[in-house]
Amino acid sequence: MVPFKLIWRNLLRHKLRVLLTAGSLTVAFFLLCVLQALVVSLDQGVKNASKKRLVVQSAVSLFVNLPASYQGKIETIEGVEESMKMTWFGGYYREPANMFAQFAIDADRMERIYSSVELVEGSWEEFKSSRMSCLVGKETAKKYGWSVGDRVPIVGMIYPRLDGSEWQFDIAGIYDASQEASIDDLTMYFHWEYLDEAMEAGAAGGADGIGVYSVLLSDGYSQAGVGALIDGLFENGPQRVQSTPEGEFNAQFVSMVGNVPFFVGTIGMGVLIAILLATLNTMLMSGREQTRDVGVLKALGFDGSAAFWLLLTQSLLLCGVGAGTGILLALGVEGPLQALLGSNFPGLRISSDVLAPAVLLAVAVALFAGLAPALRARRLTVIEALREEA
Amino acid sequence: MALVPLSYNLRSLRVRKSSTLLTIISVGATVAIFAGVLSLQQGFETLFSDSGREDVSVFLRPGAVSEGESGIPPAKCEIIKKSLPEVKVVDGMPLASAESFLAVRRRKLDGGETNVPIRGVEQMTFTIREGEVTLTEGRAFAPGSDEVIVGEKLVGRIQGCEMGETIWLNTVPFKVVGVFSHDGPFASEIWCDIRRMSDALERPWYSRVVAVLNSEADFEALKERMSEHKEIPAKVMDEKTYYEEQTRALSGVLRGLGSFLAVIMGMAAAFTATNTMLAALSSRSHEIGILLSVGFRPTAIFLSFLFEAVLLGLAGGLVGVLVAFLINGAETGTTNFRTFTEIAFAFRVTPLVLSQAVFFSLLLGLLGGAWPAWRASRMKPIEALRRT
Repeated sequence: MVPFKLIWRNLLRHKLRVLLTAGSLTVAFFLLCVLQALVVSLDQGVKNASKKRLVVQSAVSLFVNLPASYQGKIETIEGVEESMKMTWFGGYYREPANMFAQFAIDADRMERIYSSVELVEGSWEEFKSSRMSCLVGKETAKKYGWSVGDRVPIVGMIYPRLDGSEWQFDIAGIYDASQEASIDDLTMYFHWEYLDEAMEAGAAGGADGIGVYSVLLSDGYSQAGVGALIDGLFENGPQRVQSTPEGEFNAQFVSMVGNVPFFVGTIGMGVLIAILLATLNTMLMSGREQTRDVGVLKALGFDGSAAFWLLLTQSLLLCGVGAGTGILLALGVEGPLQALLGSNFPGLRISSDVLAPAVLLAVAVALFAGLAPALRARRLTVIEALREEA
Repeated sequence: MALVPLSYNLRSLRVRKSSTLLTIISVGATVAIFAGVLSLQQGFETLFSDSGREDVSVFLRPGAVSEGESGIPPAKCEIIKKSLPEVKVVDGMPLASAESFLAVRRRKLDGGETNVPIRGVEQMTFTIREGEVTLTEGRAFAPGSDEVIVGEKLVGRIQGCEMGETIWLNTVPFKVVGVFSHDGPFASEIWCDIRRMSDALERPWYSRVVAVLNSEADFEALKERMSEHKEIPAKVMDEKTYYEEQTRALSGVLRGLGSFLAVIMGMAAAFTATNTMLAALSSRSHEIGILLSVGFRPTAIFLSFLFEAVLLGLAGGLVGVLVAFLINGAETGTTNFRTFTEIAFAFRVTPLVLSQAVFFSLLLGLLGGAWPAWRASRMKPIEALRRT
């Protein structure tokens, strides 16, 4: 084995070139990490969804509501532990640009159905006690500077108040749903009765009924089995329903964006090809320049494998430093990235699902780029190597 | 000032084949990605903006940003259609039509589900859309019947959209009796009779009214008047603006993504080009010495090296554009996030995409060549000649 110092010196022989190649690797791996993080973020709501919950929605359209009377009927089915109404409210805070998700729900049931949602401020009791109460995700609360006790005005686009005024909600709790894959920290939940009463009284417009029912299964019952029973119950109308496992329900929103894994895969492939060839180019140049050094080493009695490792280690070092910096950079911008894209990609993180493939790729690039010059160095005879012009 | 002959650059690129080729492909991959994202954005945007008509006005519920969330009672639709003096009248009939819109859940043929727009229309719609919407197969649905016609982009992609097949709306079967084409988003829709749609889905309201205006009608005044109308308040915009509003967000995202990728990948590509040119420089210092001693000015050397880098960049750009052409016309789908419906559209390598891609590759060459060219021009003849 040749001394490490020799390898290092050889690598730094052309400082600018090594710096530029490492720089390319840095930006490429930074990009790959960010892209991969986006895909992982989209996937997690699907992968980590509960196996114990079903979503019952209209079989016709996501935009058709189900009758409120369905809830009682659904709960007669064996295997259904409990259900919760969920209606998309579609409102914004002050400006249309401040759109975020709000749902009208059964306030007294959420705590049991989404049991891993934690309140970091306020309490479930406060939330349940008043019709105008709401829960707000911690990210949204942070964004608008809200805290428990605040009264917030929300403009309803789907359920407009007929006198043109805003809806008023009292914040009774701020939640953290990091343990709950199907809920992000950006949403507002409020009493369905509040919405219903306003519509009954003729104070608000909008479609009657319930958007979807979230159904919690009893232990030992399967999503498919109970789902088929629920679907069968309403086969003859008035509104046919479709029960989907929670993961599938989440997946339909992901696939709406288009084929994200495909697009990201294609872009990643392009980045990879570009960086692969750039690194190969650098290593081939280095290999050619070090031909005489290899000759000298071999003349001194080092064997072919020493020459092989001399070059391969340089490639590994180059990729390690370059890609490593890129990966660290990605970790460094995790915070700003969440702030920028968090509302579209909840739970965006440079997690191990991002880091592991990145490290593997870095090693692969190093091997690909280093192997050709390293093999050549092993093969060269002393005479050939020394004869080569520098 | 005498310039170094261009053939010198061409020959030296050829001498160092492998390095040249690797750089070209590396730059090419970068340009291809850049052009790909741009042509995606172009395809999406032209689908909407080219089909929007300025003489067609769209009436929505006040506050609604798309027909997906808009709702107007049928009685009010009638008033809008018949009472407005701005609406063009042909043969005693106002060129105005109510439309009902809903995103319905459909299975895709290649698996999974998607939201397909179904549009309930009146007979007048076909008069308004004459020349825009054309039947390519079968016939139009009979008024009042449980029949539909489907946009050609749905055929072969969505279940139940072949001629003669049945599409269920809740508990009512509708038969597919025709296929129609349209250069815009309608080609991804299912059309049927507006009243039958309302009955089948138990939706007692319509989504919007579209009307052709007289050429002398004052659009701004109409817009103003309708926004404060006591009986029939409505948000009015011309169709072109309506479509622009629908696409703005996604178009912006794609443009942002394109620029982000261009900057990041461009950096890597420019570094690669610099490396290649630096290698060229060190292996040719002898030649540079000769050029200087036979009387070429440093500026000529600088330009010569810069030109070689630009040539590398342009060659890479050419490769990238060729790759981008492979996807030209390829169909893909995305969602109109205002209505949550899927729209099919094609990548479009437009002249704009081409010129931006070529400009980008030129820039990469210049960036990559600047430093090595400067170094070359600063060499002293004696030193350069002495180096082997």
